[in-house]
Amino acid sequence: MIATIGHLFLSAAFLASIAAMILYAIASVKDDEYIEYISNWLWGAKGLFLLISSGVLVYLLMTHQFQYYYVWNYTSLDLETKYLFSAFYGGQEGSFMLWILISCIVGLGLIKWTRKPYRSPVLFVMTLTQFFLLSMVVGWDFGFTQIGASPFRTIAQEMPNAPFIIANPDFVPADGTGLNDLLKSPWMMIHPPIIFVGFSMMTVPFAFAIASLWTRTYNEWIRPALPWTLAANLSLLTAIFLGGYWAYETLSFGGYWAWDPVENASLVPWLIGTAGIHAMIIQQKSSRAHKAALFFAILAYVSIIYQTFLTRSGVLADQSVHSFVDLGLYGQLLGFIVVMAVMGIGFYLYRYRELPSPTEDSKFLSREFMTFTGSMLLFILGFVIIIGTSSPIIGKLFVSNPTPPEIQFYNDWSMPIVIIMALATVIGQYLFWQKHTWESLAGAMIYPLLITSVASVLSIILGDVRSLYYMIYIFAAWFAVIGNGAVMIDLIRKNPKVIGGALTHIGFGTLLLGIIASSVYTEPLLDQRTAAYNQRIMAGDVFDEEGFPVTQRVEMFQLEINRPVLVNEKYMVTYEGYTLTDSPRPGQQNYILRFEPIDGSVPFYMEPEVYPMLTTSTRDNIDWSVDPHVRTGWTKDIYLYVAGSRYVARKNDELERRNRTGYVAGESSDEDNDIQTIEIKMGETIDAGPFSFSFINFIPASEEVVPENTQIGIRALLRVEHEPSGNAFEIEPLFAVYTENEQSYVYSPPLDIEQWEMSVLFSRIHPESDSIELTVYGLDEEFEEDWILVVAEIKPFVSVVWLGTFLIMIGFSVSLMRHWKREKNTKELR
Amino acid sequence: MKPKIVIGVISIVAFTSLLMYNFGNSISSYVNFEEAENRSISHVIGTWDSSESHGFSRETMQFSFHMKDQDGNSRRVVYPRPKPNNFEQATQLVVIGEMRNNVFHANEMLMKCPSKYNENPEFELADS
Repeated sequence: MIATIGHLFLSAAFLASIAAMILYAIASVKDDEYIEYISNWLWGAKGLFLLISSGVLVYLLMTHQFQYYYVWNYTSLDLETKYLFSAFYGGQEGSFMLWILISCIVGLGLIKWTRKPYRSPVLFVMTLTQFFLLSMVVGWDFGFTQIGASPFRTIAQEMPNAPFIIANPDFVPADGTGLNDLLKSPWMMIHPPIIFVGFSMMTVPFAFAIASLWTRTYNEWIRPALPWTLAANLSLLTAIFLGGYWAYETLSFGGYWAWDPVENASLVPWLIGTAGIHAMIIQQKSSRAHKAALFFAILAYVSIIYQTFLTRSGVLADQSVHSFVDLGLYGQLLGFIVVMAVMGIGFYLYRYRELPSPTEDSKFLSREFMTFTGSMLLFILGFVIIIGTSSPIIGKLFVSNPTPPEIQFYNDWSMPIVIIMALATVIGQYLFWQKHTWESLAGAMIYPLLITSVASVLSIILGDVRSLYYMIYIFAAWFAVIGNGAVMIDLIRKNPKVIGGALTHIGFGTLLLGIIASSVYTEPLLDQRTAAYNQRIMAGDVFDEEGFPVTQRVEMFQLEINRPVLVNEKYMVTYEGYTLTDSPRPGQQNYILRFEPIDGSVPFYMEPEVYPMLTTSTRDNIDWSVDPHVRTGWTKDIYLYVAGSRYVARKNDELERRNRTGYVAGESSDEDNDIQTIEIKMGETIDAGPFSFSFINFIPASEEVVPENTQIGIRALLRVEHEPSGNAFEIEPLFAVYTENEQSYVYSPPLDIEQWEMSVLFSRIHPESDSIELTVYGLDEEFEEDWILVVAEIKPFVSVVWLGTFLIMIGFSVSLMRHWKREKNTKELR
Repeated sequence: MKPKIVIGVISIVAFTSLLMYNFGNSISSYVNFEEAENRSISHVIGTWDSSESHGFSRETMQFSFHMKDQDGNSRRVVYPRPKPNNFEQATQLVVIGEMRNNVFHANEMLMKCPSKYNENPEFELADS
């Protein structure tokens, strides 16, 4: 059995990591190169075992072996190959495997590049983390207790007491439950690997910090640790960006950030890692801040495990839309965090007294002080977010059964912190490259301050900013962009290799500008009727059917087919209908909305989608999911989704009717009842339900369309109008009488009006009353024109958020290259 | 002790207290409908009371339904958006909003859905 091979190799990897851990510890204590050499081979072997084991899991997924719980739970027969592959890390167990696998590769890099005296202790710490991570998936069952949840367990092992397993232990489901539709996105395929690259690399500064405490060499460790930390941060930022972009494009909450615990889980290590980078840079430049550098290097990794614990132990299950379900790993995860925190922080405190401390205080106006301030602010921001995210635990100090904090908590605290940060980046960058007094600093900053003031005033006027607080924020953000920009221009002339820091700080300022523009100044798109209705709500003039005042504003509007509506006095929006497609998702509707800007610029189309979510839909209930359309632009995005439609409402009604009556045949049920005959004279108009039929004239029928031996062949020119909407069609149904075998037959082919699901027959002529008879199918008394409910927003300058993020990424990359090159050159000198 | 350390300790204590104070204010406890009467914003956990009518009204643009909280109080809840995805399937609802005149005006609604990891998943039988 191939799964057994996977399980065995996973166990072997676990054993190898234990052996390597012990041997690396001995090698570190005895400083024995030979033992270290053996340990390195063990590390490599472990990597090989893991690779085989992962290969087996991928094989099981690709070959649809649904007797395995993991395969059944995350894939299905219709899943595309690329998503079958990414299902490998789609669940909790597989994502642990991916994390271990990437850590293993990082370890190989460490074996190759790390110098004495750090190599053995660093790899000891790496194996220790590998030991804990592997213990989450090894799946050893001792009867009384269990270690880890193996991805190779079968459904029978997962649910031994389920009735179908008792009836048939070899039961194999025909199909799996499938991958959640929301996750079927290329962004979500690459997001997890990148985040685990970040997590794995963030282990490295932690390992170096422990190694430095172990070997009591407090200066040298940051040289090799710094490039790893920069790379870890670059990966985490990329992953955060991908997650935010995916959320914005795919989900209906309408933004790229929601302070969700899972989002915070990747932001906090990034913030603390960045704090660590600042401290390491001071230590490298000025031989200060040893304590802070060590502390943040330890804390960054501890925060990764802490957030892993929060999201994977089930603690947050009530609070986050996408936390994992507890796999019974609570105890093991708790052990992991406790051991790492005690080892890291305990060791740090143990050595605290002998850590080098500066002999004199640094001046306020020094690069050391400013960089250290940046470091502390980043740490404080991270700390605030940890407190908020930990509400299920820390909240118990205040109330029983705590809810998550209001979003306002995060915004209230982060805003003043980032304002100070933005200001400090500029002063810090100026001082970083040149010593300044207050006077010389003021002199150097005159032009940047002037430009900042102009830019801020322009933004405030153009953006109609009223709040003083936001004005300060905007000023600080512009200052960060322009001040650091001035520094960067100066550096490009002198030494372009060192612009990483300045560029990152420009990115930070840009990001702040983008955040405020896109979040505070988002405006909902509404038609005039809804806008007026909202005004009446605000005035307290609207009451519901029970006589209570309505207080909640409506943030969606209705569109009827082919009826243009003026929205926000900016666009004429017309709903032009929908098409049903089965690709890529069965039952998907693509809605088409035409936007015509009234300022005369080029019209465009928005095409949001609605589809039934297959993984959660059942025979009795369709779980509809929306896929918003985002039209991105340089100055603004239009974000739009269809919150309801006639099609969806009808489908739901149909299901409900079927559930109630148990009637299965479905649509044919009311076909007998919706035939109606209409007698109508020429020039007359007759109402039938919401429609009116006007008989305008007779038209002679051409010879080609009538059967042979036709005695009478005539058409009636009719106008059919849907009165509520004013939409109308002119049709010319045919009536013919022909003889065949001396028998007379009537030929009257139906004419379809597809938009209304109606067909009309010219079925008889009454010469005596000078009228004709029409037979109409699909004439529904409750007929309504196609409609949709639309939720739409204009979000200004989301592009600037992405731009800021990219600038930070590029800045990090530039620094990474520089430090990595220097580190490599150091080696060659030896 | 050096004055610098004193100032440092005081500012850390002040910052932490302020943070925790504000944190304590920004979280609240899950309550039932009766307790929600006297609060501004409350979080109520409950289940859908399917014995009463429910539905989305295109006139008021509101979805309304009855929810039974964990102590069995049933109240009408109005939500200014269409019926959320998987509303019927949810094993638990969390509504966040304000109670006024015995009607709960939800600004936000969270659905807790039967997890994929439940005890009795529906299997389709394999072709033998």
